[in-house]
Amino acid sequence: MISRLRALWNNAFRRKILDRDLDEELQAYLELVSAEKMREGMSPEEAYRDARRDTGGVEQVIQSVRDVRAGVWLDKLVQDVRYGVRTLAKNPAFTLVAMATLALGIGANTAMFSLLDQVVLRLLPVRDPDQLVIVRETGNHYGNTYGANTISWPMFEDLRDNNQVFSGMFCRFPATVTIGYDDRAAQIPAELVSGSYFPILGVVAALGRTIAPDDDAVPDSRPVVVLSYSFWRSYFDGDRTIVGRTIALNSHAMTVIGVAQPGFDGVELGIPAKVFVPIMMKTEMTPHSDGLKDRRRRLSWVTAYGRLKPSVSLEQAQFSLQPLMHSILEMEVQQPEFTRSTTPADRQPFLRNRVELLPGSENGLREYMRKPLWLLVALTGAVLLLACANLANLLLARATAREREFAVRLAIGAGRARIVRQLLTESLLLSAAGTVVGLALAFLTDRVLLRIYLPADAAAEFVVSPIPDGRVLAFVVGAMVLTSLVFGLLPAVRGSRTEITLSLKDRSSALSAGGISLRRMLVGIQVALSLLLLVGAGLFVRTLRNLDSLGPGFLTDHLLTFRIDPSLNGYSDEQTKSFYQRLDINLQTMPGVTSVGFSAMPLLKGYAWQNAVLGKDFEGAPIEEQPVLSEVGPDYFATLGIPIVAGRAFTAKDVGPAKYAVINESFAREYFRGRNPIGQRFGLVDDMEPVSPDIEVIGVIPDRKYRDLRETPPAQAYFPYLEGVHFRFMNVYLRTQVDPRQIEDELRERVRQFDPHVPVVGLQTMNEQIGFSLRTERLVASLSAVFGGLATLLAVIGLYGVTAYTVMRRTREIGIRMALGAMPVDVIAMVMHEVFILIGAGLAAGFSLALALANLVRSQLFGLNPRDPLTFVGSAIVLTVAAGLAGLIPALRASSLAATTALRHE
Amino acid sequence: MPAPQTDLLQGTLDLLILKALALQELHGMGVSRRIAQITGGAFDVKAGSLFPALHRMEQAGWLTSSWGESETKRRAKFYALTKSGKKQLHTESERWERISLAMATALRTT
Repeated sequence: MISRLRALWNNAFRRKILDRDLDEELQAYLELVSAEKMREGMSPEEAYRDARRDTGGVEQVIQSVRDVRAGVWLDKLVQDVRYGVRTLAKNPAFTLVAMATLALGIGANTAMFSLLDQVVLRLLPVRDPDQLVIVRETGNHYGNTYGANTISWPMFEDLRDNNQVFSGMFCRFPATVTIGYDDRAAQIPAELVSGSYFPILGVVAALGRTIAPDDDAVPDSRPVVVLSYSFWRSYFDGDRTIVGRTIALNSHAMTVIGVAQPGFDGVELGIPAKVFVPIMMKTEMTPHSDGLKDRRRRLSWVTAYGRLKPSVSLEQAQFSLQPLMHSILEMEVQQPEFTRSTTPADRQPFLRNRVELLPGSENGLREYMRKPLWLLVALTGAVLLLACANLANLLLARATAREREFAVRLAIGAGRARIVRQLLTESLLLSAAGTVVGLALAFLTDRVLLRIYLPADAAAEFVVSPIPDGRVLAFVVGAMVLTSLVFGLLPAVRGSRTEITLSLKDRSSALSAGGISLRRMLVGIQVALSLLLLVGAGLFVRTLRNLDSLGPGFLTDHLLTFRIDPSLNGYSDEQTKSFYQRLDINLQTMPGVTSVGFSAMPLLKGYAWQNAVLGKDFEGAPIEEQPVLSEVGPDYFATLGIPIVAGRAFTAKDVGPAKYAVINESFAREYFRGRNPIGQRFGLVDDMEPVSPDIEVIGVIPDRKYRDLRETPPAQAYFPYLEGVHFRFMNVYLRTQVDPRQIEDELRERVRQFDPHVPVVGLQTMNEQIGFSLRTERLVASLSAVFGGLATLLAVIGLYGVTAYTVMRRTREIGIRMALGAMPVDVIAMVMHEVFILIGAGLAAGFSLALALANLVRSQLFGLNPRDPLTFVGSAIVLTVAAGLAGLIPALRASSLAATTALRHE
Repeated sequence: MPAPQTDLLQGTLDLLILKALALQELHGMGVSRRIAQITGGAFDVKAGSLFPALHRMEQAGWLTSSWGESETKRRAKFYALTKSGKKQLHTESERWERISLAMATALRTT
């Protein structure tokens, strides 16, 4: 074994020495043999000649010794590679085009795949992440919820204490807190965690200790905090003495007890948590709400996680949790908070609610990016396939041109297998070069894409390693090998089938007809794939345009927005209200600002506050969707440019004890059917106490979008913000005379002077915000447009190449036809006939493919059908015209040939 | 004096080379002459088969080589058996004897 390895090593790296030794050995042999012959009486010359003859050719002996050397395949590979590099270098134009095509194809695929891998496929960096599941309740929810994956605190406790399938459960709640340290203040994402969080995840401390069950036993008792490793490094410069020191979170003194292990940023990808706080400190961390102490069963806010016992599968666990869930629900429907807010008719569907377990790495970003990313992976896959078809075509053309070379090699004894290997080596060389360039491209692309997708600070910390991990590397190598096989194998096999005699005898007749049908088929595939990509591009671009042009229903230009959260600074309710009023006046007097509007709920950011409504006229009617609510300042509608169609807007005088509301037309239609809504009354259902309909409608606005651009405006109701319950933070909207970006800095400075402790958060123009909310649509639209264009270009080039080649082969025939009286038009018609057959076949295949796949993208579209005829026909026309023109060039050239020239050809 | 040519069975050459080197180390020409000697001139191993076999067996670890001086005062490569070469000679000889005995018996049967 060792001797073999040594031999391999020597053969690979000490060939020169080995060859010299072999020479010398054989020389000595020859001399010995001739010396023997001389002893028998031959003359020296005679003896030497005889010895050489006896040996049977020194060169042959050397070659056969080399053939037994270990790793001779390596030798041959090196030969193939050398020859391949030389051949490719001789034709730099071809090589560059092929490499660039592959770099684009493989680069795009790698970029998309590694993004998919990091965002959608990868598991959490914790112990046995595949055992981790999210426990959620599906079905009808009555009450308030913080999102689809949340359950109430009491339900979490019941599940935790009574289940048989988990080795442990923990829960968490994401919050934003203000951190104060060293006179610096900033808002950071925090994770409120139960005491079992770290032990069950298996995440340990890099420094100090993590939060233990003891820290999370009694509400408000342990003001301790664990820092994330990256936050410790960036914010505290990796100061090891930080453990034991005190920092301020929301103005509460908290002791740093440790730093979590590197790479762990909480369980939600895309929003890396910087600090971890026991969930028992919720009152301090989230001053605007406290679901922990009031123990409401109808307030869902924690995300619950379980670690499956080793022998239990997700399906088994989900199945065996249902009875437990059912008994919890049975108990909940008896509670007054449920009976108060619902009708008896709601009880049955509620009792059918179920537990659902999701993989523990699931989160909002994943949910949001999964479909678009798979879509983009599919698109790039199609592009790579197309690039392969194009390259196969190029190589086929090249193989035809190289038939003479192959014939020579076959004639001097190369095996056909060796020629196939040689050609495949060349293909592999091309795709390897393309892959290297593609990898660099992919890395750059991913950085850019992540910046588009994530908020700026998260993107900065989202580490995309320039060194791809195992999975991405496997993908890349797989893509490379597969690609070179796909585009290289056909031409290689064809090349090896070269007929020696034909090719050597006469160059022109060697332009064999065999390759042409294969090349036509490849062009057909290219046309089909191009059509598919063009249709996709058309659908996505039109979706984006629909979303862009429809807009939210009010003017978004000259509109600036930011968020402000005085309660995180420890302000009391009275102080907060006074803060808003003073800030309102202050901003109204700011130069360039025409109007200022406050709103408790952010506009077009996907959030909604919904609540059941009651009133004497619609009692007992089934609720389709609870109306969307907000609390707004007096000039809110004026600032957004939403007119009042009936009644009036709020004024600063609309303060208690009477309650007022402004509703939209949908609300009026749904709840007051045909009656004049002004003066009607309704109430908001409350879990805690019975309510009466005491809110009076004073105004009606037209339907405008609220949550996002895709929605049909829901029923909406607005209340005066200073009288509401959600006033602890506010979204501020400013209508400006000038370009809003010009006054951003001034605004920030003005608020800082107004109150240095309350930072302006998320300052941006409304158009920027909308642009961000459409980033997926924009990304998909622009990438698919680029891919569609690229695909069309490749297909057109392929079609041109094949047509030009056909025309060249038929030059003689064309000459004869023209000599017999065919007109140029006839020649053009003859060539174009074939071109259109080719395009037609490609289009037919492309259409059926596109129609079959259309439904898969339905959810990504807006305002048009996935089988939108306009897009399909438009794409077909574009492709036909482009490809037709490409075919027309050789056709025209053929028709302009003089008959004599054509006949003299060859 | 062309010796009667006998085609070498696969593996026979290896065994002959091992046997030739059993007593002393030899250079390539020496191996060839020694085989001719011990087979009574039945086998004349040509360079074209001899050297590939020597190199292959060296890589397999049965032989080791060193540079010495030939009778013609020239640098020549000498081959010798290694420990595993001796073992190989032993097992191959046994195998060969079994085969030749079986063959002889088979051929003698009428």
